[in-house]
Amino acid sequence: MQDLVFYFIAGCACVFAVLAVTQRSIFHCALWLAMTLLSVAGVYFYLEAPFLGAIQILVYVGGIITLFVFAIKLTAHIEDKSIRQLNTQWLPAALISLLLFYILIQAFASHPWKNIIPNAPVTSLQVIGRSLMTGYALPFEFMSVILLGALVGAIVIGKVKK
Amino acid sequence: MTPLGYFTLMSAFLFCTGIYGVLTRRNLIGILISIELILNAANINLVAFNKYLGSSDGMGQVLALFVVAIAAAASVVGLVLIIAIYRNAKSVFVEDFNLMKE
Repeated sequence: MQDLVFYFIAGCACVFAVLAVTQRSIFHCALWLAMTLLSVAGVYFYLEAPFLGAIQILVYVGGIITLFVFAIKLTAHIEDKSIRQLNTQWLPAALISLLLFYILIQAFASHPWKNIIPNAPVTSLQVIGRSLMTGYALPFEFMSVILLGALVGAIVIGKVKK
Repeated sequence: MTPLGYFTLMSAFLFCTGIYGVLTRRNLIGILISIELILNAANINLVAFNKYLGSSDGMGQVLALFVVAIAAAASVVGLVLIIAIYRNAKSVFVEDFNLMKE
């Protein structure tokens, strides 16, 4: 029963991802990407990581998708359906990604996954908070510097030069 | 519980879909969308391995949080760059940006 839930969410995510990279209208692509990210958030909830699922919905679906929609609307005429969205090398690209997928499947198939059972303790929010403030404090502070840099850089690049 | 292999399989599929999108899209925004797919594929693996083989400090989920933050910063800067390029070149298609080739 639990497995069926996962198969449903994973199938949805895969179908939505394919739609997000193949749709003609770029606006529809952004919406399918939102659905894919929601399905991935469902996978996080299934994996007993509710905090990460909530962050996924807040940051990705609430923030990044909105930014994508703004960018699509600001670069107005490009969402016209008559414009070709794929370049001329779609066939070699499809072959390369299928080959990569095949290689990855072969690599995964050589490992005995059935023997691995989840025996780790469920990661609670307290554990994440404590890790962020103790063991991972340095990367956490680096992250705030990166976010500040991205913020200032975005304003500087986006400013209209007089 | 679902075997760990299915999670890696799903993440591999999302990753390859993202690679296909990066290679075939003409639209810069479409390429950014595909990059978001790739980053999410990595995140699924981090969270799944944290659940199955995790350490006591929740390393996988902490790293996944960092990946989400990096992805947000990257897409913000990417979208602003696209808008700045669009203002100059009046286009968002990659084949129009061959200034360095000439």
